[in-house]
Amino acid sequence: MKLPTRLAALAAAALVVAACAPQTSDNSSSDTDDKTGTLRVWLFQEVGNKPKEQVVDSAVAAFEKAHKGAKVDVEYIPVDTRAQRVKAAFNDPKSAPDVMEYGNTDTAGYVQDGGLLDVTEDFGDWSEAKATDPTAKQSVTVDGKLYGAPFYVGVRALYYRTDVFEELGLHVPKTMAELATTARKIRAAKPELYGLVVGGAYTYGAMPFVWANGGELATGKSGSYASGIDSAAARKGITAYTSLFSDDNCPAAKCAGMGGNDTITAFAAGKAGMAIGGDFSHTAVEAGKVKGEYAVVPLPGVTSGSIAPAFAGGNNIGVLKSTSHRTLAVQLMEALASKKTQASLFDAMGFLPTFTDVRDQAAAKEPFVKPFVQTLTAGTKFVPASPAWSQIDSSLVLPTMFQEVVSGKKDVAAASAEAAKKMDAAFGSVG
Amino acid sequence: MRAVRGLVARPWRFAAEACALLVAVVVAFPLYWMVLGAFKPAGEIRSSEPRPWTLEPSLDSFRRVLGQQEFGRYFLNSLVVAGAVVIASGVIAFLAATAVTRFRFRFRTTLLIMFLVAQMVPVEALTIPLFFLMRDFGQLNTLGSLILPHIAFSLPFAIWMLRGFVKAVPEALEEAAYLDGASRTRFLWQILFPLVLPGLVATSVFSFISAWNDFLFAKSFIISDTSQSTLPMALLVFYEPDDPDWGGVMAGSTVMTIPVLVFFVLVQRRLVSGLGGAVKD
Amino acid sequence: MTVTDTAVVEKRTPPSTPPVRRRRSRAGRTPWLYLAPALVVLAALLAYPVYQLGLISLFRYTQAQVSGGEPTAFRGFGNYADVFSDDQFWQVLASTVVFAAACVVSTLAVGCALAVLLTRVRAVPRLALMLAAMGAWATPAVTGSTVWLFLFDPDFGPVNRLLGLGDHSWTYGRLSAFFLVLLEVVWCSFPFVMVTVYAGIRSVPSEVLEAAALDGASQWRIWRSVLAPMLRPILVVVTIQSVIWDFKVFTQIYVMTNGGGIAGQNLVLNVYAYQQAFASSQYGLGSAIGVVMLLILLAVTLVYLRLLRRQGEEL
Repeated sequence: MKLPTRLAALAAAALVVAACAPQTSDNSSSDTDDKTGTLRVWLFQEVGNKPKEQVVDSAVAAFEKAHKGAKVDVEYIPVDTRAQRVKAAFNDPKSAPDVMEYGNTDTAGYVQDGGLLDVTEDFGDWSEAKATDPTAKQSVTVDGKLYGAPFYVGVRALYYRTDVFEELGLHVPKTMAELATTARKIRAAKPELYGLVVGGAYTYGAMPFVWANGGELATGKSGSYASGIDSAAARKGITAYTSLFSDDNCPAAKCAGMGGNDTITAFAAGKAGMAIGGDFSHTAVEAGKVKGEYAVVPLPGVTSGSIAPAFAGGNNIGVLKSTSHRTLAVQLMEALASKKTQASLFDAMGFLPTFTDVRDQAAAKEPFVKPFVQTLTAGTKFVPASPAWSQIDSSLVLPTMFQEVVSGKKDVAAASAEAAKKMDAAFGSVG
Repeated sequence: MRAVRGLVARPWRFAAEACALLVAVVVAFPLYWMVLGAFKPAGEIRSSEPRPWTLEPSLDSFRRVLGQQEFGRYFLNSLVVAGAVVIASGVIAFLAATAVTRFRFRFRTTLLIMFLVAQMVPVEALTIPLFFLMRDFGQLNTLGSLILPHIAFSLPFAIWMLRGFVKAVPEALEEAAYLDGASRTRFLWQILFPLVLPGLVATSVFSFISAWNDFLFAKSFIISDTSQSTLPMALLVFYEPDDPDWGGVMAGSTVMTIPVLVFFVLVQRRLVSGLGGAVKD
Repeated sequence: MTVTDTAVVEKRTPPSTPPVRRRRSRAGRTPWLYLAPALVVLAALLAYPVYQLGLISLFRYTQAQVSGGEPTAFRGFGNYADVFSDDQFWQVLASTVVFAAACVVSTLAVGCALAVLLTRVRAVPRLALMLAAMGAWATPAVTGSTVWLFLFDPDFGPVNRLLGLGDHSWTYGRLSAFFLVLLEVVWCSFPFVMVTVYAGIRSVPSEVLEAAALDGASQWRIWRSVLAPMLRPILVVVTIQSVIWDFKVFTQIYVMTNGGGIAGQNLVLNVYAYQQAFASSQYGLGSAIGVVMLLILLAVTLVYLRLLRRQGEEL
C-alpha cells in the first residue's frame, strides 16, 4: 500500500513550507480626514424595518443638509450575519463602512481586533452626552476609553398573568423569596402551568439572581479580570435560581434546555404564570394567547421593595478606525445616536433610549415601558469589558454551569468552581 | 417473460406502492408543518393546541419576506450563482472523471483522495484563507466570490460520482466509436456525455442545493454591497437573537424550497431515462 | 446466481482488448489535459486554503491578528497541546464517532432501501416520494432542524399528542436527544443517497434484474449479489460522502440541542470547534481541531478503501 506513504510525504512537504506566517491584513487607522464624500453606514435590519428606515432617513437628510458635500449611504444588514460581516470589514478596509451599529457585548472584542475608533474626546465634547445612562456609557467603555455612542438599551423584567393572580388571590411578589413561593402556589393550583418559567440556557434571566444576592460575574479592571462566579454570594444566587427547576415550579426535564426565547414562548402561549422577559419581547407576548391578561413589574430583589439588577443589553453606534472621514463620521454617529433620533426610534420601533431624560418622556407616553425604565433607573449591570467575554459567551460556560446543577450532574460549589476556572482561563488567554 | 413477471409482481407492487406513499407522507409532514407555519398567524405557530390546520390563514409572513428591499434581486443572484455552479462544475467534473476512469497514470488514486481532503475540515476554518484569496482576486462583494468556492466545493463529489457512471459505459462502445472514425473530442461530447447524463443530473441536484442554501460564504464574502446578496440573507433577517420571527422563517424557507423542487421536476426525467436504455442497444 | 454474476461483470468491463491497452499505456498528456480545469480550480480554492489551515494551526491567530491589531506569534504545536489536554475534547470525539457511525448506517440503509423501492413502483408514487424527499433535501438545514424541534416540542408539538407521550421531553436525556437529531439527519440526508443510488440502479441493464427475478432470487439476494456489486463505485462515493458529512454534523446539533445539549452532553466535534474557537475568532485553535478532524477522516477513508481493495474492488 503505497498510498499512505505518498500522502504522508505530501503532508510533510506542506509542513516544511510552513516556515512562513499566515496572511494578515493591514488595518491601521487612516490619516486622511476628508470633509466631503460618501459616508457608509451599517445598521441592523430588523424584522419590521420600514419604520426604522424612515427615522434614519430623516436623520440622514438633516445631516446631509448640515454638511454640504457629504453623502450618506445606509445599508441594513441582518443581525445574524454581523459576526462575519464585521470581521470581514476589519480585514478589508475597502469594504468597511465608516459608521456601524453593533451589539454592546461585542465592544471589547471589536476594540481588541483593532476595528473601532477611540472617540473619548468627541464624546466628552458632545453636549447631549451628559444625560447618558451610566451603564449604557459603560457598555461603550474599554480601559477607560470610549468607543462609540449608546444607541438603545434592552432590559428584562417580570411578566405575570393578571387573570391567574386574580383567580388565585395572589399578590405581586415583593422579594425574590416571595417570587419562588408565588411561583410554586401557581403550579400547585394549576399543574398545567409553569409557576415562573425559567431556562437553563437563559443566562441573562439567571444573572439578576446572582447580582441581587451580591454576586458578580467577574471583578477587576481592564484586562485583569478574575471570575467571581464561585464566590459565596454568587453561589447563593445560583442556588436561588436553580432551585426553581423543580417539579413544583418548572420541571428540569423541560426547563433545563430552555433559552430566553423559549420561556417567552411558553408565557405567550399561556403555559406559565410568570416569566422574565425583555421590553423587546412585548410584540411576541402581544401576539400570543395571553394578550390583555398580563402585566409587567420590575424583577424583585432580595429585600422588600428593591429591584434586582438587570443586564443592560442593547446596541451602540461606533466609528471604524479605517474611516477616511473621521470628523464627519463622528458627527454622523452623534446625529444617529442623538436624543432626537432616539426619541423617534422609540416611537417607531419601541427601542428604549439611552438618555435618562428621553427615557422618562418615553415612559410617560407609553405606560408599558414604565417597569423597564424603573429597572434601568434602579441600576443595571453589564458583562466584563474584556475580549474574553465573547469566548466565555460562545463556549457556553454559564449555561453549562446552570445545567449541570439543574440536571443534578454537579452541585453548586463544584459547578461554579469549574465555571470560574474556565472563565479565568479565558481572561488569562487574552491578556 | 413479461406476462410471468406481471403475475408474480402485482400484489407486491401494490404493497410497494402503498409503502412508497406512506413514506412520502411521513417525509413530507415536516415540510407541511413548515408551510403551515408560514400561513399561521404569529401567535399560533407555537401554541398549546398544535393543530395541523389553521382557521385564520394569513399571508402576512409572506408579505414580510417578499416585502424586503431588493428581494427580487436576491432571488436572481441566487439563480445566477446556482446556475453557474451547476454548469461549470458539471463540465469540469465530467472531464476530470473521464481522465481518472479511462486512463491510468501516476498519482491517480492519490489525486482522487486529495480531492476529498478539503471537505474534511470545518468550513469555518477555510473562510479566512478563502477570504484573502477572494480579496486578492478582486472578487469580494461580487457573485464571483460565491461561484468560485462553490464550484470548488462541489467538484470533488461530482468527480467521484461521475467516475462511477463513466466506468459503467462499456469500453467496447469507445472502441466502436473510434473504429467508426470518431475523434476523441467527438466521442467525449457526443457519445459519452449523453450516457452519463443521469449521473450528471444527480450531481447537479447536489451542487444546486448546496449553492442555493449556502449561508456562510454569502455572509463572509458579500460584505458591503447588499445588491450582490443571495436569498439566504433574506431568510437570516428573521433569526433575531432575542425575538425570532418564526412565521417569517417558515415563509422564507418555503419560498426558498420551491425553486429547488421546480429545478428537480425539470431534470428528473433525465434521471429515469438515459443509460439504462443506452446500454441495451 | 454465480453465472449471472460473471455475466454481469463481463458485460460491464469486457476483457481488455489490445487497442484499449495500447491507448492506456500511451495515455501521455491527454488525462492531464482533461484534468487541468479541475486541478486549477481545486489547487487554488481548496489545496491552498487547506495548506493555510495547516499553517494557521501553528500560530496564535485570532481576529486581532487577522485584521492587523496584533502581530502573529508562532506557537509550534501549542494549539494542538491545548486541544489534546482538554478532557472534554476526548469525550466529544468519542460521541462524535459513535453518533456519526449511527447516522451513516441509518442514512445508507434508508436511502438504499427506498431507492430499490422506487424501481418497483409506477410513476405517480415514485414522483410523490421523490418530491417529498427533494423537499426534505432542499429545506435549509436551520429551518429543517427548527421544524423538527417544533414537531417534538413537549408543550407545543403534535408528535407527543399523536403518540400519547404527554409532555415527555425529547431533548433532556442524552440518548433521546441524539436520537431525535439522528432522525432529522436521516430525514435530510437520505434523499441524497436515494437519488444517487436510484440513478445508479437505472443504469443497470434491466435484463440482468429480470433474469435474477426469474431465478426466483429474493429482493435481498438481488441487492446483495447483483445490485450492490454493480453499484459499488457509486456506493463507495455515497458512503465516503456520508461519513464526511455526518462526522461534521453541525447545524442539526446546534439548533436542536440548543448548542450541544444539557451541560454539553450532546456536543459533537464540529460544534465543539465552533464554540471553543471559531465563534470567538480563535482561528489558530480552530484550525488545529480542523487538522485533527482531517486526519481522522482521511484515516477512515483510507482504511475503507483498503478494505474494498482487499475484496478485489479497484479504486
